[in-house]
Amino acid sequence: MKGKIIPLKDNLNNTIKEVIKSLLEKGCFDAILVPNRVPSGESFTYLLINDQDFLESCTPLPPIMPIQGARALRNLTRRGKTSLKVLCVMRPCEIRAAIELSKLRQVELENISFMSIDCPGALVTKDYIDKPKDSDILYEEVLDQWTSEHLRPTCNTCVNFSYENTPSDIHIGIIGQQKNHILLLPISDKGNALLGKIDIQCSDEISSWQTNVKEILQKKTDQRNNSFSELQNKTAGAENLDNLFSDCINCHNCMRVCPICYCRQCFFESSDEVRIEAENYFIKAQNKGGIKFPANTILFHLGRISHMALSCVNCGACEDGCPMDVPVAQIFSYIGDTVQKMFDYIPGKDRNEPIPILTYKEDELHEYEDSKGQ
Amino acid sequence: MANNFKPNIIGFLCNWCSYAAADLAGSSKLEVPATLTTIRVMCSSRVDPVHIISAYLQGADGVLIAGCHPGDCHYQTGNYYTRRRFALLHKIMETFKLDPERFRLSWISASEGKRFSEVTKEFAEHIEKLGPNPLKNKPFIE
Repeated sequence: MKGKIIPLKDNLNNTIKEVIKSLLEKGCFDAILVPNRVPSGESFTYLLINDQDFLESCTPLPPIMPIQGARALRNLTRRGKTSLKVLCVMRPCEIRAAIELSKLRQVELENISFMSIDCPGALVTKDYIDKPKDSDILYEEVLDQWTSEHLRPTCNTCVNFSYENTPSDIHIGIIGQQKNHILLLPISDKGNALLGKIDIQCSDEISSWQTNVKEILQKKTDQRNNSFSELQNKTAGAENLDNLFSDCINCHNCMRVCPICYCRQCFFESSDEVRIEAENYFIKAQNKGGIKFPANTILFHLGRISHMALSCVNCGACEDGCPMDVPVAQIFSYIGDTVQKMFDYIPGKDRNEPIPILTYKEDELHEYEDSKGQ
Repeated sequence: MANNFKPNIIGFLCNWCSYAAADLAGSSKLEVPATLTTIRVMCSSRVDPVHIISAYLQGADGVLIAGCHPGDCHYQTGNYYTRRRFALLHKIMETFKLDPERFRLSWISASEGKRFSEVTKEFAEHIEKLGPNPLKNKPFIE
């Protein structure tokens, strides 16, 4: 693969902005869905823009991810495909989540193109909102070192931070390049055609960038393995699991911020589940020696794991949105990795590969069947 | 304790096969453990992992899911999905060390009254050996 080296124009975000601007000017797109700083300056949100002035204030790679991009896109295409051509500028995990949602028929990808950026991770939103200015400086350091204790824990153990496993159209390589230039890479044929339209010929060698990506990947894989072996002990057995979730206040915020959890009427908020007769609680209490209120904490988390873990893209939105600092995303990352390996599935990697739970093979998994008396 | 332990086993039975097999076992005067509480579902794929986890967290000692043999599903393919879901749940319970051996997936057709009796008896014995569900007296874990 070859790419195009673009010299840095005062800073990273402005350089990426220039590329987006020229795509818009050449009429490749009708609108851009891109993160923007909110007027108070404390946070970021997605804006759908076709106005050059607003484009001026956009931040293609914001230091935090308070809104998962796939959720923004889900809002946009909830009633079907857009008639306008839209370019979504997102982190790789956001694109992978959007692909998963399209498999669940919650996002319509026709007329949608993706631009991904090498992602160093996102800072913890709560920390950022406290000190936006200091955090902006901190993020510059993160871009230098590509790891930091201030990042979301799942970002430090993320292994899909670059173009691999992310089916975007145009990828922007910044690892080890941010001091003087960025790399434009056409990932799909569509991306190639788009770059052609803005007169960019991809003929530059990218091997030094690829070496940098491999180096970071090795570092993150080590961190991931360490974190998983810790989690293996922390999650073993009902008591340990309960200790991890013991601070949970049943606000279900992890579910609401999750890009993949799309059910409009969640089982855990349905009237059948929530409004049961007092007598039924007494029966439950008799069986268990007592009953905790609000009920069903572990059931909620294990239930969400059983519904979601195969599609979990490790974006960390759940943990970021948790008011009680329950390590939800780390647990999801660990169990997600286990069950995804079982089906040899990487969520969001391939647009045409169905989610394992929505397909089957006739001859498989016999070790899980009862073989007695056959 | 082990001697007079009477397990509480929940059985989700497919309407078109295993539930009919239970019926056949009864009319053939075959023994079926009294510790089995059956829940009729229209297809084994109707059983959501949440139902199984819920039974376990509320103190069920064992959970059996029984459906038509692969290829014989009344709705053509339901039980293939059941198998994937069950495998997924089993893996999750195994990873978290939450008694995966208390869950079982069996294929029992409508004509297999004898097999129904055997499978349920064997499963009940297996659960009796395992002892009571450790979550029974843990009100905080649910």
